[in-house]
Amino acid sequence: MAAQNPPSSPTPAAPAPPPKAGEERKAAFEKEALVHLDALYRVALRLTGNASDADDLVQETMLKAYRAWDQYQPGTNAKGWLLTILRHSFINEYRRRTRHPATVDLDAIEPFAVFENLQDEDPQGRFFDQIVDDEVLRAIDQLPEQFREAVVLSDVEGMSYEEVARILEVPIGTVKSRLFRARRLLQAKLYEYAVSNGYIKGSHA
Amino acid sequence: MNCQDALKHLYEFLDKELTPEVEREVRAHLEKCRPCDDCFDFEEAFLAFLHARCRSRGAPPELKQRILSELFDE
Repeated sequence: MAAQNPPSSPTPAAPAPPPKAGEERKAAFEKEALVHLDALYRVALRLTGNASDADDLVQETMLKAYRAWDQYQPGTNAKGWLLTILRHSFINEYRRRTRHPATVDLDAIEPFAVFENLQDEDPQGRFFDQIVDDEVLRAIDQLPEQFREAVVLSDVEGMSYEEVARILEVPIGTVKSRLFRARRLLQAKLYEYAVSNGYIKGSHA
Repeated sequence: MNCQDALKHLYEFLDKELTPEVEREVRAHLEKCRPCDDCFDFEEAFLAFLHARCRSRGAPPELKQRILSELFDE
């Protein structure tokens, strides 16, 4: 539009020099990867269990991702790609010294349905509103690791079964059964908490 | 679809992971079965609660700064 009828203005501004490759790379990384920083941090915090390890894990993940940026296909699932890097770093470098991998027999965990205990007293689950964030996070942190990562990716980060399965490198059926058990375990924990705090009476089954 | 079948699909339904056909069948069951409908509502409230409670905190601003300077300031 500048070409026709040039106004009697002074010399037009020189066009910006073409960005260097490094700047393009930086801009793309900021736009596609750094936007997921909060998600990475939330997942890291639940995996490591403490803020300082979570910081280090996220920083390391971003560093690895930036180095491997040429392997990332622009416009594909950056969040999934980053979370896969994060999880591998966690398993290789942090898990051993921060937490012990689950030694419980996951299949032996019998989930109980809280709803059945509450259908007379609080069928809409209003008692949930009284439970504070920290208590929920604490309940998640007490889950066996395999359950915890499924819940964090699905319920906190809103990823699909397929995305979760890809990140955890397990079949979709495994994701479903872990989620089922994890959610029921969380419900049971939060229910007990709510009963012990007097938010609900609960049934003494 | 009976109650047992509907409950088997509970989380897949709430997670929107069912095929449209099965989803329709579950929905049809819930319309005529009050106990199942209440149970699904309860579980839906639980998942919404879980999601909301766990997203209040993001990465600390200092971490972002640390990463930016590590990556881009040689």
